[in-house]
Amino acid sequence: MAGPSRFRLDLTLLAVLLFGQLLLMASSSRQDSGAAVLERGVAGASRPAVGASRAVTGGIGSVLSGWREIGRARSENVRLAREVERARQDLARFREAAAENSRLRRLLGMREDLAPRSVAASVVTAKLTSQNRMFVIDRGMDAGVRPDQAVVTWGGAVGRVVFADRSFAKVRLVTDPNSGIAGVVQRSRAAGMVIGRGDGSLDLSYVPKYEDVVAGDRVITSGLDGVFPAGFDIGTVTVVRDAAGVSKDVRLEPEVDFRAVEEVLVLLEPTGGAALAPPEEGAKP
Amino acid sequence: MKLLRALLVLALALAVEVALGRFAPAARGYVDVLMVPVAWYGIARSARAGMLCGCAAGLLQDAWFETSVFGLHGFVKTLLGFVVGGIGGIFDLNQTFGRFGSGALMVLVGRAVEIGLLRLLDAEVGPLDLGELAVRAVATGLLLVAASHFLQRVRGEKQVRRRAGS
Repeated sequence: MAGPSRFRLDLTLLAVLLFGQLLLMASSSRQDSGAAVLERGVAGASRPAVGASRAVTGGIGSVLSGWREIGRARSENVRLAREVERARQDLARFREAAAENSRLRRLLGMREDLAPRSVAASVVTAKLTSQNRMFVIDRGMDAGVRPDQAVVTWGGAVGRVVFADRSFAKVRLVTDPNSGIAGVVQRSRAAGMVIGRGDGSLDLSYVPKYEDVVAGDRVITSGLDGVFPAGFDIGTVTVVRDAAGVSKDVRLEPEVDFRAVEEVLVLLEPTGGAALAPPEEGAKP
Repeated sequence: MKLLRALLVLALALAVEVALGRFAPAARGYVDVLMVPVAWYGIARSARAGMLCGCAAGLLQDAWFETSVFGLHGFVKTLLGFVVGGIGGIFDLNQTFGRFGSGALMVLVGRAVEIGLLRLLDAEVGPLDLGELAVRAVATGLLLVAASHFLQRVRGEKQVRRRAGS
């Protein structure tokens, strides 16, 4: 008798668990707070395991990278010394150009764009599979990180925060199939929506056939999505085809090598116009 | 004590997943470490143990490694834990080939259920990389065989020590 009653109990428990998780999924797809609270609870309870793993792997990683860095630093030292000299000359020219730019902007009555407020974060772990491309970063709500903030690195756009706990956040990368950001071809200003393909490359969708796009063009953020400020690199056009319908089929190679990213910047507020433009001295808004 | 041990096993699997994501993020697609405790508890214990372990492992995966729908992998792993535990109650899966086959099949069936659920939820499903899925199934099966072998040895040594003590 114990067998069938135990089986019935197991079936009931299974039904309860599955039904509960179906409700969770429904709540999560509607972006209700209930699923987010449970998600925070699960993440919070398991944080010690992740912290321990991070401490161990951090130690191993720093030893390994230390070895690599020593060799690299020697050869780079010589190269950098030459570059510094060249950069000094460039800086003098750029100062002149910046001053001229400020004068012209004031002349046009345009507002100078300020650099967006940002917070630096380290990548705790990453998942780069065909179904899911994401980072977990070590900054959360305590540092001002919130969902729908843009995440960038020195190479360009990285992704968007989709979930933030107190001390960590999940970032959906631009290469994820569920991601989408507004982009523009830098040369011809042809605008479109950059969508991840899941295999590491990107599509520039909704570009009309009459627009001028060729392989080698750079695509940057346009700022129209309200998340990314304009001007961050997204990728380079690799393939352009005339597909059926009214749009071109444009394939991009992302600017950022996501396998090598260790640190990122979370932009705490979106700004329009050129990204990270130097603040103008004495400029009136 | 059993619960504590199960939590420790899950914490270890999670730590390994995090470490893998740090050193080889692309390799994360080629093995499902959190599936190993689910399969182990289903095969070696019962359908209930497999189902509860699956629920916890799936929710951990959703909380740390997924950005689509929270609860999706909890659902899939709960179901798989129950099914493998039920089959394990009828057939002897607790031997090398049974473990390997269970681990590999759980990955394949899990992926199919996941795609079905994503389609039902009208979420974007990425391209199905069959090579990646095949490697994932084989690697998870092999990892399950290795982990089970290790756990059995530890258990065997404990029993020998206990017997020697009594």
